[in-house]
Amino acid sequence: MSESFIRPLAGLRRADADEFGGKSANLGELQAAGIPVPPGFALRAAAFRSFVEEAGLEGTIAAATANAGSRDVGAIGAASKAIGEAMRFAPLPDRVRVELREHYEELARTTHDERPPVAVRSSALGEDSAAASHAGQQESFLWVRGIEEVCDAVRECWVSLYTPQAIGYRARLESETAPAMSVTVQSMVDAEVSGVLFTCNPVSGDPSMVGINASWGLGMAVVSGEVTPDDYLVSKVTGETVRRSVSSKSVEYVPGPAGRGTVRVDVEERRRDQPCLGDEELAELVDVARRIERHFRSHQDVEWAIERGRALPDSVHVLQSRPVTTLPEREQAISESAMSLVMSTFGAKRK
Amino acid sequence: MKQRRRSFQDPFHVAAPPGAEGWESMYPAYLLFGEELQERDEQKFWFFDQMHNPEPLYPFDLMMPESWLVSLNQYTTRVWNLPTALGIEHRIVNGYLYLSPNVIDDPAMIAEREPVFLERARYYFEHWDEIYATWKQKMEALIAEITELPVPDLPEYEPDELMLDDDRNTAFYDVLDAYGRTLRTADLMWQHHFELLLLGYGAYVTFSDFCKSSLPDIPEQHIAQMVAGIDVLLFKPDAELRRLAKLAVDTGVDGAFAEGRSPEEIDAELEQSDTGRRWLEELEQIKDPWFNMATGDGLYHYYRSWYDDPSIAYASVVGHVRALKAGEQVLRPSDELARERDRLAQGYGALLDEQTRKTFDELLGLSRMVFPYVEEHKFFCDYWFLTRWWNKVREFGALLAKHGFLDDAEDVFQLGRHEVSTALDELLLTWATGGIPLGPSHWPPIVARRKELLARLGDWTPPPALGATPESITDPMSIMLWGITTQRVQEWAHADAGEGRLTGAAASPGVVEGPARVVVGVEEIAAVRDGDVLVCPITSPAWAPIFSNVSAVVTDIGGVMSHAAIVCREYGLPAVVGTGRATAEISTGQTIRVDGTSGVVTILDA
Repeated sequence: MSESFIRPLAGLRRADADEFGGKSANLGELQAAGIPVPPGFALRAAAFRSFVEEAGLEGTIAAATANAGSRDVGAIGAASKAIGEAMRFAPLPDRVRVELREHYEELARTTHDERPPVAVRSSALGEDSAAASHAGQQESFLWVRGIEEVCDAVRECWVSLYTPQAIGYRARLESETAPAMSVTVQSMVDAEVSGVLFTCNPVSGDPSMVGINASWGLGMAVVSGEVTPDDYLVSKVTGETVRRSVSSKSVEYVPGPAGRGTVRVDVEERRRDQPCLGDEELAELVDVARRIERHFRSHQDVEWAIERGRALPDSVHVLQSRPVTTLPEREQAISESAMSLVMSTFGAKRK
Repeated sequence: MKQRRRSFQDPFHVAAPPGAEGWESMYPAYLLFGEELQERDEQKFWFFDQMHNPEPLYPFDLMMPESWLVSLNQYTTRVWNLPTALGIEHRIVNGYLYLSPNVIDDPAMIAEREPVFLERARYYFEHWDEIYATWKQKMEALIAEITELPVPDLPEYEPDELMLDDDRNTAFYDVLDAYGRTLRTADLMWQHHFELLLLGYGAYVTFSDFCKSSLPDIPEQHIAQMVAGIDVLLFKPDAELRRLAKLAVDTGVDGAFAEGRSPEEIDAELEQSDTGRRWLEELEQIKDPWFNMATGDGLYHYYRSWYDDPSIAYASVVGHVRALKAGEQVLRPSDELARERDRLAQGYGALLDEQTRKTFDELLGLSRMVFPYVEEHKFFCDYWFLTRWWNKVREFGALLAKHGFLDDAEDVFQLGRHEVSTALDELLLTWATGGIPLGPSHWPPIVARRKELLARLGDWTPPPALGATPESITDPMSIMLWGITTQRVQEWAHADAGEGRLTGAAASPGVVEGPARVVVGVEEIAAVRDGDVLVCPITSPAWAPIFSNVSAVVTDIGGVMSHAAIVCREYGLPAVVGTGRATAEISTGQTIRVDGTSGVVTILDA
């Protein structure tokens, strides 16, 4: 057991996805490609297994899930509750705690903040990745400060593997393998504006467009659907904004008191109907989108944030990137020669 | 084309506009909806050819659609053997031209035609440039022929030369020969016109469809910009006028080009100084060939060349001089346009995967190869040839007028070409016999009545379609040349657009609000004021010079590849084309908003 449980994001590559999850692996790839990703580290799935083992939770888990037939909602709920309670009372393994402290302190040094705010996010692996997304359980804890809070947030991520939805989903799949989860800890961006972008038009699939949704504050408001974000469609070729629909954004999430946690507040009247991105921000986001697309050689769905109080281009941060899987099937005739396409315009059969 | 329930107006039940009863007498019976074919014709879909004939057809001008349709149709049906298309039939309703395509759906027939089409079309694409070079020579020869063709007068006595020279014919024969040759040159011109046109459009449309399939959000104008030529012949006349405007400013004679002056007044002032005379000499230099531009799209006799009517050319110089004095750059930024064209092609190409990119590049190459023809044929055929041809017809009008058959040479256009032939026959007969012709009492009342009829018909608004609503439009010609698509037909069927709002194709981006100036004919161009939004049936590139004055353009018909759409993009003017009814819905003076990015026109004050 000489391998450490934690590695900095900067060192992760695609091949590390098996142990660190696709999210962390992608962030490592982005950093290596020079895309502005906030610094951070990732906790490998083995840390979770070690936690279960050292705390002797296997029995509890096995007993609780054994009763959870795929359709028995009551049994699933009881199992989730039992496992959650057991996990919350169990200490983190010493090695996990030591490594977390080490890396958190390193982050404190690089960010010149004694208790740097971080985002702690779950990153389920393999089959569980689908389970987690199916259940809507991509746990994220934002504005977490101090090592104790980080440890608690990590534990809560692990607990989220046993939400009733996740247990039910695995039961339906009749999954034999034990669930596994990695955790990403990333320096927090004080977001003035955040949102998601697609490196293509997500509706038509047009690769010459970047689709951008944006709203005030942290990205939760957009992701959770609490506000209708501003919607932009920008041409990669000319940089023109071909569609700009500005909506009324009445709420936003901001850091809580003393910079801990998040609170939902009303957006003051005068900012609500203002577009939250100008031409310069759009241009910078399109540039980032193009670099990400070039790196992954596929269309990506990207979470981003623009930091308060900093100037472009340094204010733009990429928080997450994953492949777009929902593109519409486009009618393609690419296997045909130009001439046979011309002939088909005149009603000649395509060869 | 599959037919569905009849939903457009029945072509057999369209009433004549008040005062235009009997309009049918102006046209041959085979072009009218007749009961012999009622069962068949009312089951067909007929669309109004507003693109070529927005105005009622003068009896003589009918020769144009008759000649170009037979030429187009023989190419689709008998020459290229398009696998799924026969020709396009035409009928006249209340003086307006309606068309209906005949499609092929018999698989055996399609299979029989396809190999012939493929072989012939490929040959043309493979030899395009040399065929086009020869084509230009053929057209120049034809233009020379119509220009030089003499229309002799009828002498009291034939001259001695007739007896001494074996090559001389009598005036009787020469007049008939000249008239026959005049008609024949028009047919020949249309034959040349369609020799390359279908394949040229087809290559472009294929590239456009391919772009829209691979890049669903690509603006139509970017497709056009990637293909458009930089040194296109059609831009030359205006480019020369821009150069002359700059010369006027540089040599200090720009004072002559005051707003509102007629060409004669400008000439008169220029004549008074050496530099002014030098400017006029310079103008003389460019007239051949650039003054062969027409004041309109060529298919009506009243579109004259700039030789005949230089007002557009002079108005253009006036506009350019004003722009120059305001410190604007008027010379066309060719380098910038070329860079933009390559930047777009590179930018879009780079987004495609390797195989798609290869097809994209090939189709773009093919489109650029055919584009000079697609752009330039209009100059040779519709402008240069036709303005001379109409003038030749005027010479026959003058001959008939001289002998009392017509009150005025221009009245010749009120007679059909066969009627003119009949009138000439009688004139020659009575000239030879020394008898008394009936023509002078027969034709003038007919002409007078027809002028009235045409005026009444001009007040009528033709519906966009008649007869059966097709389930889908499959005829490649209707789609390519007229933009008649399944979607367009459904829009007509539902006629859904709200009050005060028109939609069309977004042909040139930008948003402008301004006073509308409805211009349905070239004679109204002088009324256009600075900042007006030009609203017209179809924007002819021949009007290009006045585009320096207008702030935006709206048309009834045309696609984003219409020549005018290209000109608007050149001038950076917002344009919405193909709205179907802008000239009917919008009145001069109304404030309208033109959104050339989304293709919407809004009437702001009703």
